[in-house]
Amino acid sequence: MANVVSQYESKPPPFGHEMRKCFSFDPEYINMNHGSYGSLPSPVAEAIKPYYALAEANPDLFHRFTSIDLIRDVRKRIAKFIGAAHTEEVVFVPNASHGLNTILRSFIWEEGDIISSCNTTYNSISRTAEYISDIPPHPEVVQFTLLFPTSHSEIIQNWRAYVRSLNEMRDQSAQKLGRRPKIVAIIDSIISVPGALLPWKEMVKICKEEDVWSVVDGAHSIGQELDLNLAEANPDFWVTNCHKWMYAKRGCALLYVPKRNQHIIKASFPTSHAYKKGGGSNFVEQFEWNGTIDFVPYISASCALDFRAWLGGEHVINDYCHRIALEGGKRLAQILGTEIIDQDQDFQFTLSMVNVAVPFPPTMSSAFEIDMAFRRKLLIKRKIYPAFFYHNGKWWIRCSAQIWSQVEDFEVLGQAILEASKEILEEFGDGTEKKTMGIEDKVEKVN
Amino acid sequence: MSNTQSIAPVPIDQIVKATNILQQSSAPKFGHELLPYFSFKQGFLNLNNGSYGALPKVVTEACNELMAWQEENTDFYYRIGFIPPLIGVREQLAQLVGASDVDELVMVPNASTGLGVVLRNFLWQCGDTIIRCNTTYATVYKTIQYIHDVTPGLEISEFQLLFPTTRQAILDGWQKHITNVKANAPQGQKIVAVIDSVVANPAAAMPWKEMVKICKDVGIWTIIDGAHSVGQEDLHLADCGADFFVSNCHKWLNTKRGAAFLWMPKESQKIMLTTIPTSASYVTPGPDRPETNIVSQFQYNGTIDYTTYLSVHVALQWREWVGGEAAIHQYCNNLAKKGGALLAQTMSTKVMDPNGEFTMAMVNVTLPFPSDFQAQYDASVGTALIYGGPESAHKSGMNDFEILGNALVTICSEIVSEHKSANVPQNCKAVSFSSYLEQPLKGAVALDSNNGIGAPRPVTSTKVTLVGYHTQLASIRP
Repeated sequence: MANVVSQYESKPPPFGHEMRKCFSFDPEYINMNHGSYGSLPSPVAEAIKPYYALAEANPDLFHRFTSIDLIRDVRKRIAKFIGAAHTEEVVFVPNASHGLNTILRSFIWEEGDIISSCNTTYNSISRTAEYISDIPPHPEVVQFTLLFPTSHSEIIQNWRAYVRSLNEMRDQSAQKLGRRPKIVAIIDSIISVPGALLPWKEMVKICKEEDVWSVVDGAHSIGQELDLNLAEANPDFWVTNCHKWMYAKRGCALLYVPKRNQHIIKASFPTSHAYKKGGGSNFVEQFEWNGTIDFVPYISASCALDFRAWLGGEHVINDYCHRIALEGGKRLAQILGTEIIDQDQDFQFTLSMVNVAVPFPPTMSSAFEIDMAFRRKLLIKRKIYPAFFYHNGKWWIRCSAQIWSQVEDFEVLGQAILEASKEILEEFGDGTEKKTMGIEDKVEKVN
Repeated sequence: MSNTQSIAPVPIDQIVKATNILQQSSAPKFGHELLPYFSFKQGFLNLNNGSYGALPKVVTEACNELMAWQEENTDFYYRIGFIPPLIGVREQLAQLVGASDVDELVMVPNASTGLGVVLRNFLWQCGDTIIRCNTTYATVYKTIQYIHDVTPGLEISEFQLLFPTTRQAILDGWQKHITNVKANAPQGQKIVAVIDSVVANPAAAMPWKEMVKICKDVGIWTIIDGAHSVGQEDLHLADCGADFFVSNCHKWLNTKRGAAFLWMPKESQKIMLTTIPTSASYVTPGPDRPETNIVSQFQYNGTIDYTTYLSVHVALQWREWVGGEAAIHQYCNNLAKKGGALLAQTMSTKVMDPNGEFTMAMVNVTLPFPSDFQAQYDASVGTALIYGGPESAHKSGMNDFEILGNALVTICSEIVSEHKSANVPQNCKAVSFSSYLEQPLKGAVALDSNNGIGAPRPVTSTKVTLVGYHTQLASIRP
């Protein structure tokens, strides 16, 4: 497979606005929300063109042989990248939601089982847990509460107490049922909103000590979290999106299942022609073909790693993004007269995403309409946009610092937010008078 | 920062310029004149559109434009931008397939996903029955197997379909089978039948509407695997009587791979609780859940590249330009019949469906293996690709099917002599499809239906590259 692209013969542009040359953004758009959907570098878009051409030159050859060989090679490379003990523990899935659904649906749920989620669990994954609980045999969903401001040590302490309480629940059920139910805990490595790194490895360790399955939603990890070493961290299951922080083409994620747990994965979704009862014995083969899709995104993961190597590698990329996130976040908080959610003195929660409070009074409504109003005023009108979320009594914004970002971007954002939040306060009031809260997620009419 | 215009949702035709060329020129005739409009490698004779479809250059270019649009402002695209064009595509497809309402039709990445999400939404119980066929497509066949394996007391009832046969014989057999299943099924438990509109192997258009009626008359659910239907035949789903219908747009409708639709009338939507993966807009069943919640769920359930779905719009424009659905169906049908006959003649074998009652754009012809060889081994020559080289260039007067026929005669005799000289053990089986991949590309394998040991034996041929493909009938499907 061609790993060296001729465009990597010259030096990369410096980080900052000049790096926009390597992306294809609308020149008027300031991208401060890379974390939601990722961004495809133009060199990666170029590097995958030959694979698209191959797919059309001879579709049979490409889909029956070539793509399968190529993807195997990419899996080998990626498995090393994340520190998996074996390539056979890593397969591709279209996105993290798909991978997590595959895991959660694979467990044979029984009465008395517990699914543990968190108030900060990603919305579709919370819904997945709810769905599983909604159908027979109705395992129970129990939620761990995580509220900022906090610290890594406080979270670890609370988590330990919480998991022990789950075990007490289980012991009680076990007495009634005559058998010991299972507990499956969904743990974020990096929460989506707020964008915050959790002490997930310690949380996984506690799960192990307490005989609880650890399902790690690492959607934001690869490409943002340095020195991943999954064999060492040893979660029971781990999923990440390559198309977020790793620059792969959308529709590329990893499902990591250590060999000891592959028997849990009863089937891929959709089920493969290679499906066998009992699962496990042919885990990789079951994920090699699950219906015709565009396979090039999986191949793009390797092209993305080439691009990142050209830029100087993981540490170079992430040191820059981390620095901008902190400096930019502080500057933004200054402009808005508010604070960063990460109050930890070492900023343990902050990698490349930073969360700053919106300057609203504490009585401000938490209605979804506010989010939609920001979308209109910032994304559409002002062409600058961070993610918005409501947490622990406040509205926050989450900014993604990227290799094209500069602190100036946070200043522009700060002005935009000052204006927009003033407008919203006028339109919606400050929450002290009752307002109707229609929360249907309709497409807003654009001015 | 100077702001010019704010962003507004745009229809696909404003984003895509690649289709402008269609207004400026008229289409060539069907046949080799259309080859330059596709991207096949020089010398590759594509007689297997049914497996993975083929993307016209215009659609490829339009997809490049759609992918570039996605990168301009990804937040706008995923929160607002993709929605109106996607609804537009659903409306176009709903019209094309004769659905009564756009909210009966949603997009899924492929037929396997569509069928999988329907099958996994049923709340299966002990005593339920799922009806499949021996010819049910592998992923669907195994989905049913998986459901059986995780649902104690669930029965699978398999209808045997063996060709050659007739439409009437199939209907008679199906009626008997359904009557039998119904008689034996426990009262109050559900029976769900998965029926192919067009079987994949062998390629055969089924009397599926009549089969649906037979099921419906006795309260059996019907899920139609129409993977091969849209673009190959006319559909009128509103009065077809089925409960669910799934079809791939990237097979016969010329869209980018990764686009299919799931049709589910309002009544059917009642059993659909969730997409897979579950969407953020999932609502627990109950009085608070809107009736159309499942349709909303399908709009976004995990980040994907919507270019595949949006390419339907461009593909339909291209097909209109090329001559329209009726003309395309007619041309392919005639060619399949004539070409199949010519192929059989070239190889001195037979067309599986000489009357043409099962034939649309695909035809099945027996391979030229000696009968004792076929009895002993299930030779895995599925699809032969004539790959490269001036020898395979089209000579004037040579027909695609003749070229293929001559190549297959050579390949099959090579396979026979390889096996004879290699002393392949009697009960020999390729462990799995992936074992083909561990060998050189040129491979043919001796198989049997029992477990055994074995390894692929290479067939060396300088003129052709074989793509190993397991088939029971040792026939090819162009």
